[in-house]
Parts: sequence; C-alpha cells; structure tokens
Amino acid sequence: MLAIKIWNYLKGYVIIRIKGLSLERLLNLCLVNDIYLWNVDRINNVEIEASISILGYNDLEELVNKVGCRVEIKERVGFPFFLDRFKKRKSLGIGAIIFFVLFGVLSSIIWKIDIIGLQQIPHEEIIKELNRDGIKIGNFKKNIDEDSVQKKILEEFKYISYIQVKKKGVKLIIEIKEEDMPMEDNYNQYPSNIVAKRKGVIFKVIAKKGKAIAQKGQIVKENDLLISGTVDSEITEETGLVSAKGEVLAYTTYSDTVESPIIIKEKRETGNKFTQRGIKLKKKRVKFFSSDIPYKDYIQEIEEKSILGLNNIDIPVKWVEYIYKEVEVEEVKRDVDALKKSSQIKAIENINKELAKKSEIISKNAVFTIKDNILTTKVIIETIEDIGKVKIIKK
Amino acid sequence: MKKNIDKVKKGITDALELPLDIALDLPKITMVGNLKVDITNHKGIIEYKKEIIRINTNIGIVKITGDSLEIKNILIEEINIDGNIENIEIMS
Repeated sequence: MLAIKIWNYLKGYVIIRIKGLSLERLLNLCLVNDIYLWNVDRINNVEIEASISILGYNDLEELVNKVGCRVEIKERVGFPFFLDRFKKRKSLGIGAIIFFVLFGVLSSIIWKIDIIGLQQIPHEEIIKELNRDGIKIGNFKKNIDEDSVQKKILEEFKYISYIQVKKKGVKLIIEIKEEDMPMEDNYNQYPSNIVAKRKGVIFKVIAKKGKAIAQKGQIVKENDLLISGTVDSEITEETGLVSAKGEVLAYTTYSDTVESPIIIKEKRETGNKFTQRGIKLKKKRVKFFSSDIPYKDYIQEIEEKSILGLNNIDIPVKWVEYIYKEVEVEEVKRDVDALKKSSQIKAIENINKELAKKSEIISKNAVFTIKDNILTTKVIIETIEDIGKVKIIKK
Repeated sequence: MKKNIDKVKKGITDALELPLDIALDLPKITMVGNLKVDITNHKGIIEYKKEIIRINTNIGIVKITGDSLEIKNILIEEINIDGNIENIEIMS
C-alpha cells in the first residue's frame, strides 16, 4: 500500500467534496467508468469527501453533471502541485537552483592549505613552492594531483623524509616529516631556535648566534629549548628574532637489550616419512584422507606437482603431496659465557645504528640477568654528542 | 431451472476442489477483527452513510452497520471498508 501512496503522491491527487442527493449512484458510475476513488468519507447526508487522481477528476466532472451533483476541490496534494507553486514564485525556484550550483562549485574548491609537521623549513617556503606549481587557495580540487605535488616538494626540499598530500573536503592537507638539517643550510636565515633532539645532561653550550638558555648540568628532554633565537638588543632594548646557531654538547645514553635462551631444542630427522596426497584448486589445498600423523614430533613439507606433467603451462589445479618427516628433539645447553659475549656484540651493533656520527663514547656497560632459561643482556653506552636541532619560530 | 444449474456447478467445484468464489462468481467477504471488511466481487453500492453501508452482491445485499464507517478504496472488483463494525447481514 505504501508503494501506491508514493505513486499517488508523485502523480498528484486532489481531495474533493461532492454535494448531492444520489451520491451512491455517482460512486457506482465511478466504478463502471473505472475511476479510482479512495478515502471516501461521509460528511453528512448530502456531502462526501474523497481522494481522486488528477486524470480521474477530469472524467468525474462529466459524470457529476449527469447525476446532478456539485464538486469542489478541497485540497491539492502531490508533487505536481508542489512544482506548480514554483511557477508562481519563479525567483524562489531560481534561488534554489543557484544554491545547489554554488554549493557544488564551492565545495569542489580548495579553501585551505594545512601543512603539518614542519619544524625546520619555514611555512612560507612550502607555500611559495606550491604557488609556483599553480596550487593556491581557490583552485579546483580535481586539478590538483596529489602524487605530482608530493614529487615536486620532495624534489625541491632536501631534508624531507616523508610527505603525504591529501585532499579532505575543502582542505589540502600536507603532512611532512623532516630529517635533521645541518646548521649551515640556507633555510636557516629564518628565525629559529635550537631545541634538543633527545634527552640528555648538558655538558657544554656554545652559542654562536642567539641566547643560550640551557646551562651546564641541566637535564633536558626532547624538544626542550637550548639556544633561543629571540634576542634582546642591548642598544635599542627591543626584542629581535635571529636564527640561532651553535653547538650543544650533552651526555646522552643509549641502551639495548638482547634476550637469548640458554637451553635450545635441536631437531634431528630420523629418516621415517609419512606421505598424504591432496589436490590444489587455485589457492585452496584439499587433503584426500586426513588421518592422524603417527609421529609425535615432525616437520611438514608440502610439494606441488603439475597435474598433467606439464610444467611450463600454469594450470590452476595441482597435485599436492604432504610429507611428514619424523624428528627427534634434543635439548642442548649452550655455554653461558660465549652466549654473553655474542649477545653483547649484538646489542652494541644495534646501538651503533642509532649513534650520531660525531658522538664520542665515554663509557660502555653491560648487565646480564638470567631468568627462566633466558639470558637478558642490557648494554648501556654513554656518549657526548651535539643534541641541537633547528626549529623554526612560528610567527 | 437456474437453481439446478447452480447445484450442478457446486457439485463440480466440490469434486474438483476449485475455489468457490471464482467458480460460482460469489463475493468474498473478509474481516479483520471488527475494524476492517474487504468485499471482492461486488456489484455496487446501494447506500453509504456513516452508520450503514449496503453493498449489492450476487448473493443479495450485504448490510454492514457500525459507526464511523469509511470506504478506504473502491474499485470495480473490490471495496475496503474501515470503521467500527458491529453487524454484517446478508439479505437475499
């Protein structure tokens, strides 16, 4: 019934009032002439109310004259009448159309460019580079190709390790991760601070430009301010911004832990074999008979064979052989001293990957603990290194 | 004579288990509680008031009494009546 209601609404119908004495006769005539009436309601002795389709109403008018009743329209319902209203109020209709067009156009334009994660490269440089490629606020979204923008920015700027450009709504979001930039680089003409790359204890601060904030013996965390680019001028008593330069040497520690089991299980094949066959369809393997494997410990090997013996044609159906080889498990205890040495070397190797090139190693310390058959080796290396990192001052 | 033909017809439909309303051209009256009456295969409306509706059928006049009766749909084959139905009478 809902479908009929929706259909009626779309086609449009009218609610009419019929006045007269022989109303039943009119209803019967409607039946015969195939005029569909619904929601027929008796108002009083001489009046009924009913719903009728627009086409039906035209037919009804002829019948009404024959019977001698009077019809008046009480209400017009449906989509066609809704549209009719717009005929009288043209400006409203035009306004609605303009609204939808503007909505579509405006929402397909980039209205904001967000750059996230910049620390060393100034915002303006990236915006300038984007403008040079013709990407600015007010461009159509479909004219911007994320991949080519990424490529261009990566080519232009040396110290970017990761970049992602994406369009989100009316925003263009550029996410950037930077590598550490050498102090001499030309972007450093922009006002900048020097902050800590990692945590450590300050050993010496040499400020070539800017004001040293960190003091000897101070413990600093990552991103703590070390040399400030905000300087008070002695002559004019105004604060000015410079790009801070200098070296900040600090004690830093690196550590790495390696865990290795003392007792290991070694597997040795006994030579006994147990084979099952199956078939492979595309990527799915099916075993013909999946009986229990008669060994306690075993290694499973799967061999695939072409079904017709044609190796150079790739048929998606293949024979599969499951081979189970029995093994003996033997527990072997390793020499603890040798293990300590080897795991210490491994830990130092891991640390070396992280160490900065210019750092100077002061001390090396290894701690061994044995718990539940596992030897834990912790190596701690203390170094002196430059922990300064450039960070642009945001205006 | 007509009665005899009807009898034969009924015998045949009974034997073949055909639906009676179709084979014998009879009206089918369906009620849902006392709220709704559907009559298919009717022959027109005789009287329509809020308290009483009379509908012509092959078996005579079906008289429905109640209050606030309303014809929901009216088609050549079918009439759906809503309202508070108190009484249905077949006057043949």
